[in-house]
Amino acid sequence: MFIDVGCYQLKKAKQNAYGDYFLSKRDAHGRTIAVLSDGLGSGIKANILSCMTATMLVRFLEKEVPIKEAAEIIMNSLPVCQVRQISYATFSAVEADEQGNIRIVEEGNPSFVWMHGDTPQKADYTEIVSRSFPNRRMKVYQFQVEQGDRLIFCSDGVTQAGMGEKDYPLGFEREGLLSFLQSTIAAERDISSSQLARLVVDKALFCEYQHKSQDDISSAVLTFRQPRKALVFTGPPYEKHKDREYAWQLVTFAGKRAICGGTTANIVSRELKREITTPVTTAMGALPPLSYMEDVDLITEGILTLTKAQEYLEEGRLNEADAAGSLVEFLLSSDIIEFMVGAMINQAHYDPALPIEIEIRRTVIKNIKRVLEEKYFKQVNIHYV
Amino acid sequence: MKPIKIEICLGTTCFVMGGETLQNMGDMLKKKYGAKIEVEAVRCLEVCSSDNFSKAPYARVDGEVIGEASLEKVQAVIEKKLNHE
Repeated sequence: MFIDVGCYQLKKAKQNAYGDYFLSKRDAHGRTIAVLSDGLGSGIKANILSCMTATMLVRFLEKEVPIKEAAEIIMNSLPVCQVRQISYATFSAVEADEQGNIRIVEEGNPSFVWMHGDTPQKADYTEIVSRSFPNRRMKVYQFQVEQGDRLIFCSDGVTQAGMGEKDYPLGFEREGLLSFLQSTIAAERDISSSQLARLVVDKALFCEYQHKSQDDISSAVLTFRQPRKALVFTGPPYEKHKDREYAWQLVTFAGKRAICGGTTANIVSRELKREITTPVTTAMGALPPLSYMEDVDLITEGILTLTKAQEYLEEGRLNEADAAGSLVEFLLSSDIIEFMVGAMINQAHYDPALPIEIEIRRTVIKNIKRVLEEKYFKQVNIHYV
Repeated sequence: MKPIKIEICLGTTCFVMGGETLQNMGDMLKKKYGAKIEVEAVRCLEVCSSDNFSKAPYARVDGEVIGEASLEKVQAVIEKKLNHE
């Protein structure tokens, strides 16, 4: 099973830093770790507290310290606010593997929601009391999910949204969240984690007084499902006699297929005797336009488009209309992305007469891999051919 | 009479060296010559890496590769072909 991780956050109105912090990592064995922490108060102080808590937890879990133990160490060591007598940061930590084994530890955050399709499920937990602070308890869950299940985590900014308003005297509450999740998932069964997280946060904001966030609002979602795969073929292969093999690998790939590169597209076209068409469009912006070929979902120019796509991904510009925007959309609609990178170098790209500097393909692909993994929680593999 | 086929290269090198302006050329040529020509964009003519041709950007008119292609150069070749016939 693939674990699709998505998160969306809003700052408390007029603050300049997020008081909630979300971190997620996926290790080589397919284990996914995610932590959502809410720092006391808001703004930069809360940001530091929640960032510290989330980072420590993720590090512990990465080093395979059992989740219960890691949470206990943090709970025992986290300071308590002198004035309010509550802990400086609350957290939810989850560890999930590809078989659907889940372990969750919560301290202070609203309890997560486990949805099987559009039906909420109940999970049993054990409570552990902090040794040094008996009023602090953490809940430990261990259970198994199935394909199609979702785990939804949120900060109290969601459950307390709109508190004091006529329609929500006690806030949006867990009941509000549950019925919202049920109707949203029933309406769109295949909704992605990031879309669902965004809808939850938007809904919470909608409940708020004057639609302004009175607290940091965060939601993180883990969806367990069949992975959507994509293959991107870019750059001519080093060994010319293998061109045909790679061309076939592309068009028979079980998933979505893209070519980034004019020469690469020509190779596929030549080897498989399939025509490429490139409509001449006048308004195309600063990048060469898209081309079309049977059985290939997307064809773009190579290095310029890839470089631009990297920029869009890093800056979070996800709705651009040019070829790089189409590539970004292609990449983000997949979970597992394979890059088949040809090692042949086009000398003409490094002609000093060129008015701009062209990056080396490998570097760009490595950067794209990094940003896709760290910022968009994708699984990316690079194969050099 | 078969229309003259004009291919404009939109490979990386050509695009960087002026393919973007060449593309607008397609419209201008089409306006001037109408049905006598056929304009197409191609992904890469694969001539930039060979030294046999002068310099990017490239265009191809009925199979004839034009280096450092510009509106004037391409037009000159089209005129030559039209007059020849």
